[in-house]
Amino acid sequence: MQNLKACTGSWFKSLLVLLSGVLILFFCLVFGGLVLWPDPQSLVSALTSEEILFSIQLSLFTAVTSTLLCATVALPVAYALSRYTFPAKEFMGLVISLPLSLPPLVAGIALLIFFGPSFFGDLLRLIGVDIVYTTAAIIVAQFFVNVPYLIRVMRSAFDSVHPRYEHVARTLGASEPAVFFQVSLPMSRQALLAGLTITWSKAMGEFGAVLMLAGATRMKTETLPIALFLNLSTGDLDFAIASATILLAISVGTLLVFEYWFGSKRMV
Amino acid sequence: MPLETRGLYKTLGDFHLRDVNLTIKDSEYFIILGPSGAGKSILLETIAGIHSPDSGRIILDGTDITSWPARLRNIGMVYQDYMLFPHMNVEKNIGFGLKQLGRPSYEIEKATADIADLLGITHLLSRRPDTLSGGEQQRVAIARALVIKPRILLLDEPLSALDAITRRKMRNELAGIPSLTGVSVIHITHHVEDLISLGHRSAVMDGGTIVQTGKPDEIFSNPRTPFVAAFTGMENLFTGIAKDSHEGRIVQVGPVKIHAITRYNGQVQCGIRSEDIIFSREPLKSSARNVLKATVMKIRLMGSLAWVVVDCGITLTGVLTIKSMYDLKIDEGDTVFITFKASAVMVFPDGQNRDKTEDTETG
Repeated sequence: MQNLKACTGSWFKSLLVLLSGVLILFFCLVFGGLVLWPDPQSLVSALTSEEILFSIQLSLFTAVTSTLLCATVALPVAYALSRYTFPAKEFMGLVISLPLSLPPLVAGIALLIFFGPSFFGDLLRLIGVDIVYTTAAIIVAQFFVNVPYLIRVMRSAFDSVHPRYEHVARTLGASEPAVFFQVSLPMSRQALLAGLTITWSKAMGEFGAVLMLAGATRMKTETLPIALFLNLSTGDLDFAIASATILLAISVGTLLVFEYWFGSKRMV
Repeated sequence: MPLETRGLYKTLGDFHLRDVNLTIKDSEYFIILGPSGAGKSILLETIAGIHSPDSGRIILDGTDITSWPARLRNIGMVYQDYMLFPHMNVEKNIGFGLKQLGRPSYEIEKATADIADLLGITHLLSRRPDTLSGGEQQRVAIARALVIKPRILLLDEPLSALDAITRRKMRNELAGIPSLTGVSVIHITHHVEDLISLGHRSAVMDGGTIVQTGKPDEIFSNPRTPFVAAFTGMENLFTGIAKDSHEGRIVQVGPVKIHAITRYNGQVQCGIRSEDIIFSREPLKSSARNVLKATVMKIRLMGSLAWVVVDCGITLTGVLTIKSMYDLKIDEGDTVFITFKASAVMVFPDGQNRDKTEDTETG
């Protein structure tokens, strides 16, 4: 009887492990197949082509800029939501989180209406600012989609800093900005680095919102995901796979950074 | 008179302060004793300026500082779990306050070195807080608070997180702070031992308010309420009826008449300290008025003391040394006599008639 039980147990375990193995194999085949599909020579020439190099540069520039913008806005907002009580705080938290659950395409079209034909868009054009279908639009779209995420990460990081650290700092003569910059922020450094890494990586890969607000214009608003999309629709499979390969490499890199730098403290 | 609180009220979640009036003198070690949830931490944080009171005033050296922010009050604070900044080494932690004041770095270094020397933590200056023991962390936290030369140092349960040996050692070091630095210390605790060994004066807090203020031995010998009596370790507390009888003033507790010195009549609470109960094999001939025959129900041995629970119509707990217990050959189930003086019986008015008679009671 006991033997049978042990036997059943190991049979069950084996099945689960086997199932996991099959899934992993499937993943590896899919990703490996993508990278190995074109012959290496044409992959290298695609990777070094003017178009892909332009995409890499544009993606890097917009993602870094939008990530810095995200940090500038997310840090104070997250701190306010974490530390202070004020009217409509709950409601604000909800509104800020909305883009998180929204499909980026919907966020993108909302942005397009806002900066395009709406009253606000007219107003901006009056003072000579027209961002639709420009590099600025890419940055705005990436920012809009990613900032709620960074606010979330930083809010939970600030929440986990015991307020008593800040109390002690105040009794030692620290002003409110000093408390933030010398105590709360350095104590959340891990979360900030992790959050920035992920935000940047998400910005590199953002497609839906960017497509809506910045369009897909070759050599103009052609970020890596847009390059993938454009080349696939014109049948240039090597170019599409080249940009997909880069995006895949960025994801793997981000994942490794995450597991090995912040592995012990997974917060997202 | 460095610090005074007048009629402080504060509600914060489930915690309350109700009409807290305290006066702390210069270079005084003042203990606030109370159970968890009595509002002790809120009181400290309100004094430090972390919370502003709903009403009432806080006066420091004659100046009303009620509306001042914490950073301008010059009141230091050390929490139970120290709250050393984990991203700074010990030296940076101690220098934090002087840095906020914009002092030049050579001055910060010197002041840090001096206070570290005073507290015997010079060898720790380059260490990170998470590598320190509890006692070391506490010294660093105290150094960090003292280096800015505060008027008052607030200690929130400073000994609770330490092991027994370190606690005894730290208790002595804490006691030296006022004379060493001239700073007045307010120390909150729920340990009665801290009161005995540390306080110049003390207050007992319950339910957000101060129930008694005085020297520690006064609080022990003359608790003003049953709560203070119980909290300072009075084992035997009863509800009874105080009245006159042909034998004089008595408190009737169930079937037992206890002679007591009291002016109260009617329902009262009374308490007898375990150490005031004398055990004997035969009835004692003494001036003590209460001699009762009792059965030993249970004996608990703790260290060199034996706690003896007896039934004499009511259940009483007495204490004697293990040696005298063996001399008297007391064992569970034995019949013994217990004796205590009428003056050893502390009588407290019951809630309803307290207001009328409180001032006349002397115990």
